[in-house]
Amino acid sequence: MENYTEALRTPPVTLVSIVGHQDLHATISTHLHSQQPPINTLALPDFSKISVIAKNTKENENPLPAGYTSSGILKRDWLMKHRTRVPAVVAALFDSDQLSGDPAQWLQVCTDLENLKAVIRGRNIKLLVVVVVRFNSKDSITEDRMIALRKRAELDAKYVITFIPDDASELNQSLNRLGNTFAELAVTFYRDEGRRVKMRLEKKNYGSIEYNIRYCFKVAIYAEFRRDWVEALRMYEDGYHALREMIGTSTRLPAVQRLVEIKMVAEQFHFKISTLLLHGGKIVEAIKWFRQHDASYKKLTGPPEVSFLHWDWLSRQFLVFAELLESSNPTMQNNSSPTLSVADRTSSVWEFYAAYYYQFAAQFLKEKKTSIEIALSMSDASSETDDTSDSVVPSLYVGQFVRLLELGDTSVMQLITDEVYIRFALAEGKRSRDSIKITGLLKKSYEAYHNLKAQRAAAFCMLLMAKEYFASSEYSNAKNHFDKLTSLYRQEGWVTLLWEVLGYLRECSRKLGSAQDFIAYSLEMAALPVSSITSLQSLKDCGPAGSPSLQQVEIIHKEVFAIVREESGVILNEENMDMKVNSDHPLHLEIDLVSPLRVVLLTSVAFHEQIVKPHAPTLITLSLLSQLPSPIEIDQLEIQFNQSECNFIIVNAQRPRSSAISHIHPDRRVETVPILELSTNKWLRLTYNIKSVNSGKLECTYVIARIGPHFSICCGAESPANMHDLPLWKFEDRFEASPTKDPAIAFSGMKVTQVEEPDPQVELKLGSVGPALVGENFLLPVTLTSKGHSVHSGELKINLVDTRGVGLLSPREAELSSNDNLHVELLGVSGAETEDDSQGANDSIRKIHHSFGLVSVPFLNVGDSWSCNLEIRWHRPKPIMLYVSLGYSPNSGANKVHVHKSLQIEGKTPVVISHRLMLPFRRDPLLLSRIKRTPDSGQTASLPVNETSILVVSATNCTEVPLRLLSMSIEPEDDVTPKNTCTIQSGVHDFDNPTLLVPGEEFKKVFSVKPESNVSKLNMGSVCLRWRRDHRSSKPVLTKQILPDVKVEFPPLIVSLECPPHGVLGEPFTYFARIHNQTKLLQEVKFSLSDSQSFVLSGPHNNTTFVLPLSEHILSYKLVPLSSGSLQLPRVTITSVRYSAGFQPTLAASTIFVFPSKPQFQLTDTETEKNSVVAEQIPA
Amino acid sequence: MFNSQAKFGSTESANLSVTEKMIVCIAVVGHQNNPLYIQSFTEADDALKLHHIVHCSLDVVDERVNNPKKSGPMLNETFLGLLYPTENYKVYGYLTNTKVKFILVTTDLDVRDADVRNFFRRFHSAYLDAVSNPFHVPGKKITSKTFAERVSTIVKSFSFNTTG
Repeated sequence: MENYTEALRTPPVTLVSIVGHQDLHATISTHLHSQQPPINTLALPDFSKISVIAKNTKENENPLPAGYTSSGILKRDWLMKHRTRVPAVVAALFDSDQLSGDPAQWLQVCTDLENLKAVIRGRNIKLLVVVVVRFNSKDSITEDRMIALRKRAELDAKYVITFIPDDASELNQSLNRLGNTFAELAVTFYRDEGRRVKMRLEKKNYGSIEYNIRYCFKVAIYAEFRRDWVEALRMYEDGYHALREMIGTSTRLPAVQRLVEIKMVAEQFHFKISTLLLHGGKIVEAIKWFRQHDASYKKLTGPPEVSFLHWDWLSRQFLVFAELLESSNPTMQNNSSPTLSVADRTSSVWEFYAAYYYQFAAQFLKEKKTSIEIALSMSDASSETDDTSDSVVPSLYVGQFVRLLELGDTSVMQLITDEVYIRFALAEGKRSRDSIKITGLLKKSYEAYHNLKAQRAAAFCMLLMAKEYFASSEYSNAKNHFDKLTSLYRQEGWVTLLWEVLGYLRECSRKLGSAQDFIAYSLEMAALPVSSITSLQSLKDCGPAGSPSLQQVEIIHKEVFAIVREESGVILNEENMDMKVNSDHPLHLEIDLVSPLRVVLLTSVAFHEQIVKPHAPTLITLSLLSQLPSPIEIDQLEIQFNQSECNFIIVNAQRPRSSAISHIHPDRRVETVPILELSTNKWLRLTYNIKSVNSGKLECTYVIARIGPHFSICCGAESPANMHDLPLWKFEDRFEASPTKDPAIAFSGMKVTQVEEPDPQVELKLGSVGPALVGENFLLPVTLTSKGHSVHSGELKINLVDTRGVGLLSPREAELSSNDNLHVELLGVSGAETEDDSQGANDSIRKIHHSFGLVSVPFLNVGDSWSCNLEIRWHRPKPIMLYVSLGYSPNSGANKVHVHKSLQIEGKTPVVISHRLMLPFRRDPLLLSRIKRTPDSGQTASLPVNETSILVVSATNCTEVPLRLLSMSIEPEDDVTPKNTCTIQSGVHDFDNPTLLVPGEEFKKVFSVKPESNVSKLNMGSVCLRWRRDHRSSKPVLTKQILPDVKVEFPPLIVSLECPPHGVLGEPFTYFARIHNQTKLLQEVKFSLSDSQSFVLSGPHNNTTFVLPLSEHILSYKLVPLSSGSLQLPRVTITSVRYSAGFQPTLAASTIFVFPSKPQFQLTDTETEKNSVVAEQIPA
Repeated sequence: MFNSQAKFGSTESANLSVTEKMIVCIAVVGHQNNPLYIQSFTEADDALKLHHIVHCSLDVVDERVNNPKKSGPMLNETFLGLLYPTENYKVYGYLTNTKVKFILVTTDLDVRDADVRNFFRRFHSAYLDAVSNPFHVPGKKITSKTFAERVSTIVKSFSFNTTG
């Protein structure tokens, strides 16, 4: 767009002129310029300057030469003239003083006006008279003078306006008035002018078609001045079509120049039309117009020697349209969606993008470059006469050139012949730097496509750009650009396109002297799957590499291998002189998983076994595949592992030992094979034994193939199991063999194998002694016995794990939770029977942490043993798994060997403690809570206050081992002082020698409890049982169990039955039922006695009586047993009316044994007497 | 005077008049935008250029497939219409249900849509027969000679139909 003048590029702006009163010019121009639409002002300081707008000024400056008969279509400066020199309106500014002053001044005004009128008459310029009046002398001008002035100026009253500059509001008004009048007059002027020219058009009143076109252009421009875009567009189109018709008919100028002129004019018309369409938002129309424009002029190339002019022109059309599209882009974005769907069938989306036009602009510029080169080479001979074209200049008309002849002071324009013109154009064309322009355009196009995410079109632009760089010998630039393309073509498998790019890259590397790149690109090219393309057709024009064919591929292959083998017999052509591989320039190529060179050499390595023993041989299969067209012979292969001791070398016996082999490590393993040759698409499989030294991972990392003395390819080893397809070749319809013969290995083989650690030769024993008991410090002996390995820096790891698989507690959790929550705890390791115990104690126990322990093991020689005890305590019965693992080095510094052992240990409760609370025999306090108690709610037992109750505690051995009880006692809780609340006394003192409790046996002990104060809840403390396992070494263990709380109640009534321990047949005895009222209330009590057949009785049988407060009522009976044996006493039923509680003695309480005759007791031993008392107290 | 213009016309336009109104290139493009079959029918040395054109037009196919709303009424239609106007060629596209693309490059600048549709339909059936061959591996290039022959017959008949 920059090629066009400003006048053409921007819409025309009305021009007016003001004359006189210079001080006001700035104010007026600024105001007019800021109007909408703006008006440009041509300010003339005084009336002597008015001649600049006169009609004939220009013709005088440039007289047409005598021979200049021919005219053109458009004058070059016509538009410029109307925009800058020919105003639509002239305003003459007069001061009011001049009008109302003396006659001399009035005369001057009249003269000026006459002169002005004379000047503008020829151009039909509108006149406006402005009278500048001071604010305070507003009315100083007489009406007569104004009328006179109007008459002089031959104007309507409204075109003589007053202008008041010295008052703000008046000034504003004056300016507005002036602006409006200017605008109105200007529109009139342009309409009149347009109409005048149009009239001629309509009457066909023009001499030639040139005038027709020129008139169209003028009318259109005048319409544009008026902002009548529709009219302008129509006229431009008319002119354009008229011009197109001219091509076949006009004979005015020599052929070449004529075409050039027409195209130049067409370009201007086209530009105007496109601009108007695009700014009007009619993109589809604009594109259609452009397509038509392109179609009608595309074939008008002209004679071949000037075809470059055509291409240049065409390129410019595309470039300008692209720029126009881009500048109108914001409007396009809004409109594109609806228009697209309409236009879908006839035009493609791409036509809406500037990128498309940029690309073609570049393409045509490229054509221009080519044709100019041809034209230059043809005109080389006549280049001596170049000076004739020196004086050729653009003429008055658009698209015409003339020779400027200096004739003394004046210069004369002379028409030129086509030959001169062509020379001139060539000279011009030679100067332009097309190459840079082309790459610039392509770059724009590339960026535009790139932004549209059209990567392939962008790539194509990149390719063209790179080719342009290549053509202008900028090889490194070209190489950079070509390099960016390869990945796309590789990825999408466009072999032909890749071939072309690689061919260029190869050539660039050759020019840049980079042997490494040259060989890499050559190898890649040689390994491309060209056979499938060549089978279809032969492609030409594929850049420097020639057409892709098998022959070509083989040539490239041979060339590369001649270079790397340093074959002296091969004649290297001059270009290849730099491509040397020798001792000064060794070459090393690396192929990794993503390298495009995988097609050249693909290595797959598979171990036959996934796990191997150290020092045991295992098989490894090495498979090599190449897609190069001819077989390649490898001198030697070096296989590298992560354990470098395993590295080995395979040497080709056919090849004499090359220099590279001489500097290998002397104790490296070397295998020799008769021949090491890779055929196209055929796996070379080599299987070898390999022995690993160290345990751990053994991985094959690289396979290095050496070809020739100084060339090597380092290829990353791949596992057959996860090998990717070969790029490009994966689309080929070909047979794909598996890398190994064994399909299992081909499917799952890995380049990595796991080397196991050597078998441990140390025995780890966990001595098990049956289940552990809760509460005791359970000792578990661990014994290490070395049976062939000495133990260096041994370490014992102990881990306690819940059998359910969940860790008992992770170390972190253990820290958080308190010890109470821990069910099983590792307390420590003791009894490490080493020589120096004192030091070992510090040293050996490194870390013990609840469920995890780490213990260091001292050095052990072969045959030595070491043991320790693990001390574990169970807080709850729970089975756990104990894991013990020993890690050691057989000799110092060697890899660790591990021994693992595990053991499940049950934790069991040793004794079950239970208790019972009982009331004394035949004494029953009335406990109200017992009466009211609902069946379910009573867990807590109640005890009567100040009454002695009996507590029986029993302990049962539920283990499988005998236990010894050391003591059983009831100890108060720490925070309660039971002295105040109750007294607990044990019936028997602690036993002197521990009682043996065999499995399942129960031990009972009786305590008496007497609550002494009436508290709602009585804490009786806890049962403390001290016991140990029944062997000497075991330590006593204290098991505590808290007794549940009991209620203490005040009994209002106590019924006690009294009767002798036994009766004798026929002998009377008394039987009392005492009812003790402990309350301060009178208690009504009903009682009744049921008869018994075994006794004869006397006493009250059935009555209601009152028991006085805090006193006792005694029912006494005299009984005579009638039979012997265990007899039921007559049952007394007592009912308290107040508490509606009935009492009946239990069967046991109302049973008595009657002897047939008086028995004879031998009571001698006090000890047994005591026991019998105890026995009596315990009911059976 | 202007009659001589035609004589001066560039070689390219001369070629154009000879090869006018025919299919110059037909391609089958796979899922990874890789060419499965590409055949040009031109005597000139610009086969590679045609490859580039086919490759670039894949961008348009991508755009059409990714922005189906733009092409509105063409939803669910296999025929993609005009893809890519170049100076001397028109490029048409066709997308099968299995997302295999057919690209057609023709020098006939005012070819009718119906003809192209018809061509693609016939080409599609030829393609189906080719890939139904049990020895053909899906996703690999089509190397069948029968297919090639059939394609060239279809192409020839297309030229005949439209010119005649």
